[in-house]
Amino acid sequence: MCLYIYIYIYIHTSKQIHIKHFEMDSLQIIQLTLETNCNSKQTKACQTVVLHSADVLVQTVSVSSSGSQTEAQDQEQPFVQGDHAPSAPGLKEFLQRVEDVVTRELVRNAQSHAFHGYQVKWEEPSQQVSLLHHLHPPCATERNLHVSCVSWSCTGSRIVCGYGRMDDGDWSTQSSFVCAWNLDRGVLSRKTDLMIDVHTTVTALSCHPTYPALIAGGLFTGEVLVWDSSRTLDPVLARTGMLAESHREPVYHVSWVSLGQKKEDLQVLSCCSGGKILLWTLNSDPTRLVLSDAFALVLSQIPHSSSFKVTSVGVTSLAVSPWDSDTFLVGCEGGLLLRCSFSCQTLADISSSSEQAVPLRAPVVFTFTQNKGPVHSIHCSAFHRNLFLCCGTDGSVHLHSLLQADPLMSVRVSDCYLFQVQWSPSRPLVFAVATGQGEVHLYDLGRRSLKPSSVLQRDGSRQPSTCLNFNSHNPRLLAVGSADGSVCVWQLSAELTQQDTREGGTLELIANQVSE
Amino acid sequence: MAQLADVEETLKRIEAHKGVIGTVVVNAEGIPIRTSLDNSSAVQYAGLLQDLTMRARSSVRDMDPQNDLTFLRIRSKKHEIMVSPENNFLLIVIQNPCE
Repeated sequence: MCLYIYIYIYIHTSKQIHIKHFEMDSLQIIQLTLETNCNSKQTKACQTVVLHSADVLVQTVSVSSSGSQTEAQDQEQPFVQGDHAPSAPGLKEFLQRVEDVVTRELVRNAQSHAFHGYQVKWEEPSQQVSLLHHLHPPCATERNLHVSCVSWSCTGSRIVCGYGRMDDGDWSTQSSFVCAWNLDRGVLSRKTDLMIDVHTTVTALSCHPTYPALIAGGLFTGEVLVWDSSRTLDPVLARTGMLAESHREPVYHVSWVSLGQKKEDLQVLSCCSGGKILLWTLNSDPTRLVLSDAFALVLSQIPHSSSFKVTSVGVTSLAVSPWDSDTFLVGCEGGLLLRCSFSCQTLADISSSSEQAVPLRAPVVFTFTQNKGPVHSIHCSAFHRNLFLCCGTDGSVHLHSLLQADPLMSVRVSDCYLFQVQWSPSRPLVFAVATGQGEVHLYDLGRRSLKPSSVLQRDGSRQPSTCLNFNSHNPRLLAVGSADGSVCVWQLSAELTQQDTREGGTLELIANQVSE
Repeated sequence: MAQLADVEETLKRIEAHKGVIGTVVVNAEGIPIRTSLDNSSAVQYAGLLQDLTMRARSSVRDMDPQNDLTFLRIRSKKHEIMVSPENNFLLIVIQNPCE
């Protein structure tokens, strides 16, 4: 039985409120008239008839249970295109209608000078470069450790640093550590957030691009480890162990690469001064890093190697191209700069005493002009597929294109060693170099003169700056580690971080200077 | 099939203009049905610009009910995005106006 009650209330301009009634068989509301001047009052009441209710009992006869769980959603959104896809009705007519309008606007836009030189300032431009944080763990000075590598986490709020001494050689038994600071903690930023003890020098470090807790590191003994900083008891998640096939020499570079079909499958790529480049996976065995692919550099298999005056091909730096997942660049101790490919099939010419589970392959595809000393750092540009920078002990930064052997440009930075070079993540023409005199030079290729547009130096310190890293989440922050064990975080000025409209074009021009 | 060829021809003509980086045709549900960009960018453009176009259209009509949105242009530092709205479809063209 349903009750429908409609009450109409409307206000007259004569300030009288009427309530009409609707008579149903079970309900009666008597008309109520109220006057706002309250001259007359009437009180009425209403009441529903007795409500009918009933009780019913229910009991289950049979029971079954099942669970469900969502699976990670496939990132591919529904997308319909293809020659076999049916054309949506009306699409042709729609396109015919709008084509004229769009064409007119496109042509007018290509010729218009309306916005020429027009720039909007969304934030207050800051002209200065300032030192934001100077972080120093207390035990670094006692043990006289250098910062050997810095890496920002993927969220951009934590900086992870590896310590160790690089100049003691093989005789060092000094233990060192990895520590991290969380810079978003305000006043507490100076206290180390994480401290992991390591039995030997940490020579390479890299934070996972999507999971903020995973850190991959390479050690002086040749081991590659993955730490999980969310575990309190034992942060070591996986390690390679000292096998016949793993590195035996210091690991100078580790990075996370995704080579499989799925974008989420990341593997750790490591290189050592023994000339081996190994690819490790984390998925199959939870506590061990399993070797999935191996490459070895042998002098006889490098193209044009007869003209080089090198004896060893230990790898000191590595860079994976962000544009082409198959290409990676390798810099060697003797100054060799090589372009390699993950998909090459030729086997390496190494006689090994034991049977290797994963065969070693020779990856070299192309050789660039030799540097005059070990190549300490290579970095590929994120804005142009062919450009990369390299630096070494000869005091100059060379800008190379993947298409030719000679460098496009060489910038003379200083007389001392250069330890790391990195492109800025926000401006295509800016890069930073860490020098052995403690200064960090920032160059802008858009300027005519090749003098540094900024020089960052902490007062009173002549210790070499050994590593630097831009924060890709917040491109104004640059972290620099130095040999006195401290890490400086600099905040860059707006002109060094904000992209200009014509920079992409200038970079193209530079890249196109490749000689025929 | 002739219809399909016409559609492709029209889109090719639009893409041949100076500075055009890509085009996306979006249907009424917000799914890109034709594009010259890669899938993820197309889906992103479709989702974001459909919302913005609806918002722009309702703003125009709120101010004057007799009026309606005919064309939407967004100028950014790097390029210009042009949107032609309709009831059922949306044509998005991204152009880099070289200066």
